[in-house]
Amino acid sequence: MEYGFDITYIFDFIPKLLQVLHLTLAIVAGAIGIGLIVGLLAALPRLYKVPVLQRLSQVYTSFFRGTPILIQLFLFYYGLPELLKLVYIDVTKLPVLFFVIVTFGLNAGATISEIIRAAVTAVDRGQVEAAYSVGMSGYQAFARIVLPQAIAIAVPVFANLVIAMLKETSLAFALGVMELTGKAQTLGTLTRHFMETYIALAIIYLAVSFTLERILLLFERKLQRHMRRDAADAERRWRLWRGRKPMRERSPEVSGKEVPRYEA
Amino acid sequence: MKLDPSFIWTAFVGLLPAIPTTLILTLVSVTCGFVIGTGTALARMYRIPVLAQIASGYVTFIRGTPMLVHLLLIYFSLPLLIDALSAQFDLGWNSAKVPMIAFAFVSFSITAGAYMSEVVRSGLMAIDRGQMEAALSVGMTVPQAIRRIVFPQAVAAALPNLTNSVIGMLHGSTLAFTVSVVDLNAKAQIVASTNWKYFEAYLAAAIIFWGLTIAIERIAAAIERRISLYSRGGVA
Repeated sequence: MEYGFDITYIFDFIPKLLQVLHLTLAIVAGAIGIGLIVGLLAALPRLYKVPVLQRLSQVYTSFFRGTPILIQLFLFYYGLPELLKLVYIDVTKLPVLFFVIVTFGLNAGATISEIIRAAVTAVDRGQVEAAYSVGMSGYQAFARIVLPQAIAIAVPVFANLVIAMLKETSLAFALGVMELTGKAQTLGTLTRHFMETYIALAIIYLAVSFTLERILLLFERKLQRHMRRDAADAERRWRLWRGRKPMRERSPEVSGKEVPRYEA
Repeated sequence: MKLDPSFIWTAFVGLLPAIPTTLILTLVSVTCGFVIGTGTALARMYRIPVLAQIASGYVTFIRGTPMLVHLLLIYFSLPLLIDALSAQFDLGWNSAKVPMIAFAFVSFSITAGAYMSEVVRSGLMAIDRGQMEAALSVGMTVPQAIRRIVFPQAVAAALPNLTNSVIGMLHGSTLAFTVSVVDLNAKAQIVASTNWKYFEAYLAAAIIFWGLTIAIERIAAAIERRISLYSRGGVA
């Protein structure tokens, strides 16, 4: 490599990379959207112990959490068109982005179903009993009592998932999608200044994940305000307000296995 | 193009030689990562002046950027560093002599280190302060107390997260194909390149990864049962 490190390239590359930021964010948003729907559908049979569907959902979760997302990407990219051909749907003309979003969505769905399951199980059973004892119906008890608490429990883990997804979108370059990483590689090849491009890329990822984390943290505090109304809360808000990370408290029910795996 | 089930088997057999590469990548990154992570976690927990700041900067940076970016950064910057060093000290060798897999080892270890440091930190924090105090009160030194009392318990507490990290690194090792290391993922591409049966090849790779993941989970569960014997309740 016959070139010197030139810091000005970094500042040059950042705006260029930012032009494709929307693609990365679109993949994240699409994946999380699909993931929420699929995840809920996959979690319900296991929560209510529906005979056959329960097994199916188990296999689905196990597969998507047991194989690397890169392999899944290739699998769907090459396999989905053939699979859908069997039912006479032609998807060969669709852009690659479609396959990427579907794969990331299904991958997120597997994790989200685990998060939902863990969160609902973490809500004390006495809460449901109390709801029944004041005359609520099954649906009312779920919607008014269990769900809000479960969401509050799930949000920190969900936030981790969103950040993990953001980082995983970097793999979309393998299928030739021109998102941040793909674009960075092109810029690097064009200018032969690889190191500067990747530093710029890292800065952008860092900034985006930092911003996302901050937004999700605000969201988390808002949802969990029913949990603590004491001095500690005021302190935490103060830290948050000043831009510090509040001390994360452990929630044993959702920690452990249910934390989404980091990859990529 | 129709699905060719027999090729899945062919690909499966063809992929087997690449399993050691994937496992070695995982093993090296997890082991080095654990060492780096423990150092980082201890530096942060004991608030060692300069080291603690460096450590938290390192963890924030790595956890905020994709593993792929670390790999690419290392891959393109480490050779420059090596060449500069060897020119400086007249070592007589250059970056071209470094095998590709070394870059993957270095980069994956750095990635794993940051995640491991969080695992170790949460494990250590899960241990009651009283354990340390009790150890000190019977006359142990701080290193003794950490080694004999706190660490074994912390490992037990951190095991589920540790397992997740190992599986994460196993899955992450697929990225090695970007620096032309022939791991399972790259091998699947090679196996399929002769007849374009990519779907079958990746299916075989997915099955292998699935099996490896389940095996790791099983092993971890067995270790967990063994290691957390002390904390079971009851009387028997």
